[in-house]
Amino acid sequence: MTDAFVSAKAVFRDGGLVIDEPAAMRNKPLANRFYFYLMMPAIIVLACITLYPFFWLIFMSLHKVDMGAAGDTWNNFKNWTRLGSDRKFVQGWWLLLKYSSLCMLFEVSLGIMLALILNRSKWEKLLVTVFLMPMMMAPVIAGLVWYYLFNSTFGWYHWLMQSLGILGDKSILGDKATAMWGIVIVDVWQWTPLIILIVLAGLKRVPRDQLEANMVDGAGEIRNFFSITLPNLYPFLLIAVLLRFMDNFRFIDAILVLTGGGPANSTKILPTYLFDVSFTFFKLGRGAAIALTLLVVTIILGMILVKLFENPSTTKSSEA
Amino acid sequence: MASITINNVWKYYGDTPAVKDLNLVCHDGEFVSILGPSGCGKSSTLRMLAGLEHISAGEVLFDETKVNDLPPKDRNLAMVFENYALYPHKTVYQNMANSLVIQKVDKATIDEKVKHAAELLELTPLLNRKPLELSGGQKQRTAIGRAIVREPALFLFDEPIAHLDAKLRAHMRSELKIMQRKLGTTMIYVTHDQLEALSMADRIAVMRDGVLQQMGTPKEIYNNPTNHWVAGFIGEPAMNFLDCNLGTVSGNTALEHSAFSIPLTSEQSQNLLGSGAEQSVTLGIRPDDVSISTNPSEKHSIEGEVLVTELLGGDMLVEAQIEGSRVTVKTDPSYEADMGDQCYLAFDSARWHLFDINTGSTLF
Ligand SMILES: Nc1ncnc2c1ncn2[C@@H]1O[C@H](COP(=O)(O)OP(=O)(O)OP(=O)(O)O)[C@@H](O)[C@H]1O
Ligand SMILES: [Mg+2]
Repeated sequence: MTDAFVSAKAVFRDGGLVIDEPAAMRNKPLANRFYFYLMMPAIIVLACITLYPFFWLIFMSLHKVDMGAAGDTWNNFKNWTRLGSDRKFVQGWWLLLKYSSLCMLFEVSLGIMLALILNRSKWEKLLVTVFLMPMMMAPVIAGLVWYYLFNSTFGWYHWLMQSLGILGDKSILGDKATAMWGIVIVDVWQWTPLIILIVLAGLKRVPRDQLEANMVDGAGEIRNFFSITLPNLYPFLLIAVLLRFMDNFRFIDAILVLTGGGPANSTKILPTYLFDVSFTFFKLGRGAAIALTLLVVTIILGMILVKLFENPSTTKSSEA
Repeated sequence: MASITINNVWKYYGDTPAVKDLNLVCHDGEFVSILGPSGCGKSSTLRMLAGLEHISAGEVLFDETKVNDLPPKDRNLAMVFENYALYPHKTVYQNMANSLVIQKVDKATIDEKVKHAAELLELTPLLNRKPLELSGGQKQRTAIGRAIVREPALFLFDEPIAHLDAKLRAHMRSELKIMQRKLGTTMIYVTHDQLEALSMADRIAVMRDGVLQQMGTPKEIYNNPTNHWVAGFIGEPAMNFLDCNLGTVSGNTALEHSAFSIPLTSEQSQNLLGSGAEQSVTLGIRPDDVSISTNPSEKHSIEGEVLVTELLGGDMLVEAQIEGSRVTVKTDPSYEADMGDQCYLAFDSARWHLFDINTGSTLF
């Protein structure tokens, strides 16, 4: 009671705003220790749920892990050395990069286009709600929905594509040549809305006066988009790409439902292969090694993207 | 080069008019300033000229062509925005070169023009910087550079030097004027600062609440304001206004005030006769046209008391209380007075104005 009164008085001292510091802060070292104790539970929990599994993963990748009673045995880096000659591992990486870049390319370009249209539409709010629906769906459900749409006997989408002459008799998922497109379509369908949402937020922040200055400078709509809108969208696009690319590296629910990696391994992107190795063949040691490569690459790519965040307009020019 | 004609132009934002029935002509190569207080519709007018704002009614002609529906890129004009509107991801050089790059001018010519403009605006050492690394004045000059490089038929400047410090502003005033003379490009210059308008423009359009009040040369506007409001808006320090009655002194029409009674010149009486003026009028007289003396004389007959003196470099302002009113006088600093001192004023009757007390329009 009195404490509150004293601090309230301190705020109005000298007519200016004086922030009244709590007693613990006045004595810095003591205060730090105090806050440290407060944070201890959180730190311990965090260590248990993230650090422990991480080190355990490293441990596993160096051992032949046995689920039975025999226990784990050191195997002289065999999990790692075998990766180089593992064709499915190398191909898995290649397919993952292909899958991820195709998804990104279509999601970003489609997302920007649709966002531009929505941004000008009278019914923006309504349309955004409709467009967001795929995103609300659990990936497994999305996978199932499309599994049926793609079905070669009763799939509506298959029928449409076939009548347009784009597809033959084979289902898009059943053909080695087209299966990759099948899973890309599902990902694009489900996640373009996220890009739309982010880009739409970005579009509201594009400074109008810059667009106007450029128009007076003689630019038409298209040029205005590329020289003003796009550079101003840059940080927003980075966020979108960062989110999507990390998801592509992690989430395989839809793919497992759609193709399970087939046919003939044509959609066996690395995470699906990892799933096979670890949970179909229960080679947990090798699985751990594969998972670690995935983790390291994700972290590096993520760091590169975050680095790019330093918007060119806010960074200093190289010369001068 | 182009002449601009604005015919009966209106601008509505929703239901509120921002520009009302504007008529204005700007001749080829002329420097016209649009002057008015904040929110009077200056920027709206300029943006309609640039094609950035839809014209609600009326027409705008560049030379003889109606441009109402022409997009900004086809109007061949350059605009300097109130808040610079530089491209943050481009260097000063790229900002200035932008319009030429869009026109696909060859690199050597662009380089020459940009460097020339940079020279003119003292931006050469900053060409590789980005806008975030510039001071306000440098940003301003970059924005002006971007306009010059374009070599347009028309310049539109929207309060381009409003955000600079006083000294730089004075410098830029003369620089801009010299630049416009040299280039000979038609210029429409929006400002709320009368000093800028008076010192730079060939002609000034004074606006208030979206309505054009008066259009004329700085001299005309200063010496013959069309109404009470313009007279009060133009001139620093502001004109003195005193409410008077019209009376007769020995057969002549005279201005009667509780502190004085001064006959009008015969020419002024003639003017009044035609105007159908009422019994009461507002007298307007600039501080420059009032003289002050410590001793009464036949000329200095209006008695008053010094309220405050204010030294402004080469001039001194004296605020005097006469019976029923206050009067500001501009005199030279040698005049010695203290608060409360007795003083005697004289009005230069050749240079005063009378305004209709109800409508505010100028009687003479
Ligand atoms: N986009 C807009 N939507 C609605 N009203 C507007 C818009 N732009 C301007 N106005 C209104 O129109 C009037 C004139 O605005 P304008 O910007 O032309 O004034 P201004 O003379 O340039 O003022 P300032 O000197 O402050 O820049 C103002 O009352 C303003 O509130
Ligand atoms: Mg304005």
